[in-house]
Amino acid sequence: MLKIYPVIAIIGLVISIGSVIRKSPFFNFTGILVCIYGLLKSAEYVMPALPSQVILMYMAMSFFSFFIYFSIQEETFKAFLEPMRAVFADDNKALLRVLIVFIGLPLFAGYLTYVKVKPTYDPPVSARIVHPEPPSQMDFRGKSVNVLGLENPLRKDAANFAKYVEEGKKIYYQNCFFCHGDDLDGKGHLSQAFNPVPLPFRGTDTIAQLPESFVFWRVSKGWRGLPAGSGPWNSSMPSFEDFLTEEEVWKVIMFIYDSTGNKPRSW
Amino acid sequence: MADVSVKKGLTKGLIKLTVLLGIGFIFLFVLGRLLPAPSEDGYRVFPVIGSRVWVWIIAQLHLNFAAFVLGVPIFAVSMEYLSWRRSDGRLDRIAYDFTKLFTLAYTITASIGTILLISLPVLYPKFMDHMMRILGPTWWLYIVVMYVEVMVCYYYYYSWHKMKNNKGAHVAIGGLLNIMGVIMLLITSSWVGYMTTPGGVSETGELISRWHAIKTHMWIPLSIHRLVANVVFGAGIAASYAAYRFIVSETDEDRAYYDWMGYTSAMISIGFSLILPGVGYLLGVEIYSFNEQMGIQLMGGFFAWLWVMQAILIGAILMFVNYYLWISLNKMPGGERYFKYVKYLFIVMLLGYAVWLTPHSIALSLDEARKMGTYHPVLGNLGVMAAKNTAVVITYLVTFLSFAIFKMSNKEPVVSWAKLGNALRIIIVAGSTVAVLAIGVYSYMVSSSVRVKVLSPIQFGVFFLSIIALFILDAKMFKNAKIIGAPRWGKMPERSQYALIGITVTFTWLMGMMGYMRSGGRQYWHVYGIIKDTSPDAFLPTHGFAAVVTSILTVIFFALMGLLFYGIMKLEKKGGQGGAKA
Repeated sequence: MLKIYPVIAIIGLVISIGSVIRKSPFFNFTGILVCIYGLLKSAEYVMPALPSQVILMYMAMSFFSFFIYFSIQEETFKAFLEPMRAVFADDNKALLRVLIVFIGLPLFAGYLTYVKVKPTYDPPVSARIVHPEPPSQMDFRGKSVNVLGLENPLRKDAANFAKYVEEGKKIYYQNCFFCHGDDLDGKGHLSQAFNPVPLPFRGTDTIAQLPESFVFWRVSKGWRGLPAGSGPWNSSMPSFEDFLTEEEVWKVIMFIYDSTGNKPRSW
Repeated sequence: MADVSVKKGLTKGLIKLTVLLGIGFIFLFVLGRLLPAPSEDGYRVFPVIGSRVWVWIIAQLHLNFAAFVLGVPIFAVSMEYLSWRRSDGRLDRIAYDFTKLFTLAYTITASIGTILLISLPVLYPKFMDHMMRILGPTWWLYIVVMYVEVMVCYYYYYSWHKMKNNKGAHVAIGGLLNIMGVIMLLITSSWVGYMTTPGGVSETGELISRWHAIKTHMWIPLSIHRLVANVVFGAGIAASYAAYRFIVSETDEDRAYYDWMGYTSAMISIGFSLILPGVGYLLGVEIYSFNEQMGIQLMGGFFAWLWVMQAILIGAILMFVNYYLWISLNKMPGGERYFKYVKYLFIVMLLGYAVWLTPHSIALSLDEARKMGTYHPVLGNLGVMAAKNTAVVITYLVTFLSFAIFKMSNKEPVVSWAKLGNALRIIIVAGSTVAVLAIGVYSYMVSSSVRVKVLSPIQFGVFFLSIIALFILDAKMFKNAKIIGAPRWGKMPERSQYALIGITVTFTWLMGMMGYMRSGGRQYWHVYGIIKDTSPDAFLPTHGFAAVVTSILTVIFFALMGLLFYGIMKLEKKGGQGGAKA
């Protein structure tokens, strides 16, 4: 199957190089944007596709930045505007004017409108909150717990740290690994059944960004405890207060931090 | 404006302020009797748009003008000081023009402040009762300081020409004006600090220690942040004013002057903005240490999206600034020699901008979420602080290089060690870039505490050290340098001026959105954890709604600013240079 996006990137590059030779900044600008778009879309062949929102942001940034870049020098800017001026004003470009201004642009606007209003069965794009804000207080099996300033009580018992981590490991493999994975990378056997997929604990952008109190709240309350803005549909995490004791939750938290080499956020 | 003596000027200021305060109190008294009593839980409802949106718009407009009138005097007085020490008439003129701007803006600031003064107690009587009970004395101090500040301001402005032979004393008056401004800032920040990170009261809101209610977690970091941001914003507005005057100028002389004024203001603005990330972090750390729940909400929760927006906007501002500096090479004799470097600076800027705006939380369709998981393997790594800080520092470094190139573009060094100097410059730039990148990569491997408290300051430290080193090196290298030609001030395309206006509009909008965020951090509390918001507005508006409100108030602000600019020009035409009597 033809991989279309690398082809688009190459076409953009060819337009850009050609217009550098012909000294036409406008087509250079167009070629660069086409090339960037092709490259961004081509990412899906080597990694998960870049989300359309991110591509839109990168393209908007590129458009803005390259536009101002081509307007730095007077001659370049004049040459940049020249094709547009010619299409609008030159007598010998009447056919091109009709094709672009009176047919091409309205058709393009119509297409955009069509894409915008056509019925779709896809659920709307959601601006998911990855770190929902915890409550200042929660109850754990009827016991009131202040989430604010909450610390893992087991960490004070440094002598038994290894023991707690070992016990946490057992709890993890009995309860968590089915979804969060053997390697704590979020790729458990059941992970693909959920959307969004379970959180990986490895890396620097998940539990490493969070204090233990936050993780305690998420493990204990699961999807049911998410604030309204995050919606219960954005997590399939069970409420582990139904299955584990308070101490067991702390132990499993110690295990996931210890085994991934992460440290809880301390401020 | 017609020439006015000092005495008349002061009397005018005194009357204006007293009348406005009088109107405020009369309205409060009358409305308190005419309007129906507040609801049981202490609210009145503003018609059509609701109380919250009304107070939001008025408070933000007041804050914008206050930022302007507190920020501009700082560099106006600095300019006057420099003009005095160097006997430079052009610096004196720009300082006077800045002073003219903020003195006239005082009237609008006070008028909007009066509307706010009426609105808050009428619409939120219970909340204001609480605030008065806890921080009442600071309010009376505020009134006193406001009077003193306005009087000092008017005296400073109207005595400009009269005291031209006594510049030292005049600069001292300007210094006093700034001290008053800082006190005002500290007082108002204590109110906001108390609302967001309260202290000094019991759980039921009874006063325990007034000093602790003033000296909250947020007080000093917020004051520092606002002080720096006021200078950035004030200078930005001054740059916009200059840009506007440049565009409508009819003579080459005026164009040259306003081009220079725009350049000077923009550089002050961007120069001070270098400090903002640091003081912003300080504020963030204080919020986290007060309440990590609020910290998470502001940084990674509901408001995480605003940081993406902020990155987009600050990236755009830096791009505008660099663009302005690059385009300015056109007016420098010899500037064309440096155009070949611009493309490299541009590429680094673009890459830095791309990293900076890459979101950590991404809006995903269900299909995208299924394929990608919680975090994209590449984008996830670009969305965190380690990458962002590195990108910010590198883009700041590029901006400084653009500035350095502009400054040196019409000169040729004559020192014997010029080649060595150039090599040193390359070593400093390359060395600091490598160091910043290496620290950035290492930041991924350490805990957040080390990243924020140790590595980030080191990254910024490397940046500041390198720009200081470059400053010293250039000062030595270009001492007695051969000047290829004087800058052709005024020989700038109009689009460069729109870049200056673009910077200020972006700043204003950003300030509005950040204000929404700071205020939203309190969630459904008037005073966090103490006084609950039980009004119909006790919910966080969506970002989209906040963006609409912020956009509307940005338009209103610039319409008022436009009126101010127009008023100054009109009065200048009427009475020559106008203003203070000689």
